Amino acid sequence: MKLYEFEGKYLFSRVGIKVPKGVLTTGHVDWKGTAVVKAQVLEGSRGKRGLVKVTDDVNSAIDELKKEGIEKVLVEEFVPHDREIYVSALMDRDTGEPMVIASRHGGIDVESSKDLYKRVIPMERGVMPYDVIAFEKYLEVKGLDAVIKGLYSLVVDYDAELAEINPLAVTSSGLVALDSKVILDDNALYKHEDLLKELGRSYSPDSYVELEGDVGIIGNGAGLTMATMDLVKLLGGNPADFMDVGGGADAERVRYCVEKVGSNPRVKKIIINIYGGITRCDDVARGIVEAYSKVNKPIFVRLVGTNEEEGWKILQGHGIKVYNNALDAVRDALR
Amino acid sequence: MDRNTRVLVQGITGKEGSFHTGLMLSYGTKVVAGVSPGKGGSQVHGVPVYDTVEEALKEHEVDASIVFVPARFAVNAAYEAVDSGIRLVVVVTEHIPVVDVARVVKYARERGTRVIGPNCPGVIVPEETLIGIMPTRAFRRGKIGIVSRSGTLTYEVAEILKEYGQSTVIGIGGDPIVGTTMQEVVEMFDRDPETEKIVVIGEIGGTMEEQVAKMKKEGKIKKEIVAYIAGSTAPREKRMGHAGAVVYMGMGTYESKVSAFKETGIKIAKTPYEIKDLI
Repeated sequence: MKLYEFEGKYLFSRVGIKVPKGVLTTGHVDWKGTAVVKAQVLEGSRGKRGLVKVTDDVNSAIDELKKEGIEKVLVEEFVPHDREIYVSALMDRDTGEPMVIASRHGGIDVESSKDLYKRVIPMERGVMPYDVIAFEKYLEVKGLDAVIKGLYSLVVDYDAELAEINPLAVTSSGLVALDSKVILDDNALYKHEDLLKELGRSYSPDSYVELEGDVGIIGNGAGLTMATMDLVKLLGGNPADFMDVGGGADAERVRYCVEKVGSNPRVKKIIINIYGGITRCDDVARGIVEAYSKVNKPIFVRLVGTNEEEGWKILQGHGIKVYNNALDAVRDALR
Repeated sequence: MDRNTRVLVQGITGKEGSFHTGLMLSYGTKVVAGVSPGKGGSQVHGVPVYDTVEEALKEHEVDASIVFVPARFAVNAAYEAVDSGIRLVVVVTEHIPVVDVARVVKYARERGTRVIGPNCPGVIVPEETLIGIMPTRAFRRGKIGIVSRSGTLTYEVAEILKEYGQSTVIGIGGDPIVGTTMQEVVEMFDRDPETEKIVVIGEIGGTMEEQVAKMKKEGKIKKEIVAYIAGSTAPREKRMGHAGAVVYMGMGTYESKVSAFKETGIKIAKTPYEIKDLI
């Protein structure tokens, strides 16, 4: 679950990382002096999209953002600073331990940066002073202790998949996190129900990812669903989404998935690729049929595995095209 | 692993556990005992059930365990198996927090237990034994070793290669951190006299595929590898179903994996169906 900037900053202050003074608002505020007015949206590159404004006329900036359809706005004090740096923490997949990453250049696209310092800090011992010294030397700053320990704690204690400060401002009175990017592990949210309550967030993870194309994609299993997306693209189509019904999906789950994908106005047709193991083909077929009349778009179903004949009968009885082979289904759909 | 491997099922009385115990038994897997706290003394498909692993091991010899326990309690089950000295633990359960997985995987490794998974379909040695949830119709005894980060896609590929048959098929799981890596399985296949060629089914995220390529390049792997990578059309920083199928900081993109394989002469199938032609 990705957090909004203000939520991430709330967590930052909880773990001892300094953030600018600010207020979250949906309307006008009483503010004196220069402020940074920032739209609270989950998508990145807000700067480029004009969703961050440095201004003395705070309420006009808020009005402009509201005109863009922005609901929540974070108004923060402007923090004068000499330099911007970058620090983040995440689980390193190779070592299975948390890793802290730093760069001397803040506000950058970290992916393309070659100037990075990475350090794995094993959970068995946690952050030690000599870790902090190594980062301070690399970044040429003082007082990094709270930042490193705070980000590390977000990974280990709060189950953050990624906790990132980009940029971290170097000021005469210490280090201040100007932005936050925190992504919590969906699978660990049950451990942090109190936090979710405090943030006023409820979250039900779903595999659905919307893409730009017009061919709806549904599969069972992440790998097979991705492979179906890739196949559609390879054969000249454009996938509109990724939707994995999951293992052992029943008719109700399949109905929900087909209706969800079908309700995307860009979707012109839907390809469903099912290899039934724990998932039963008759259940899948029943779910598709239930959604079919409501969705009212052409559906191409590849259906093999457990209770296959029954599933085929159900679909064919409703005039839905069924295939043995995924290639045939995709080719027909793209015709 | 063969038909004599004795298996313990943890979470045997649950819906998934009992269902798959039945399927494993009918495939010929020697399921000798099950564990479900509070259900000791009962039976599932004729298999005796115990409250703890320790109690089960007093009555039975066990070579491997398979865990079907729900996510919140699965870590407990895995620690219990490791502490009882079981050498192979297959964790089918999905949705275990990654920090917890990292801890238990390390704990097991330090004590000489191999963990496969979590979030995996398990292992099958066709016509010998199944410790997992794979639909057996896709498999036939043969000479191809398959290692995969996926479930259904593995079944699909196994069925495509059915006329060649498979020596062993291992689903290592779709999580960011797994007990047994793709590199380790490829190394085992390379040493395995039953395996002639290796099929690698990877996906975006992480760097296991890149490390397999590196091993091949350094000459550590002698056998021929054919690979397929899912997720060429997946956007960055979006999780594609599997907890592990996500690209952060540009690490483990489709392009990075494909170019690493190309450099080493590992053949890359553009679709799962092309694997058959390449092999």
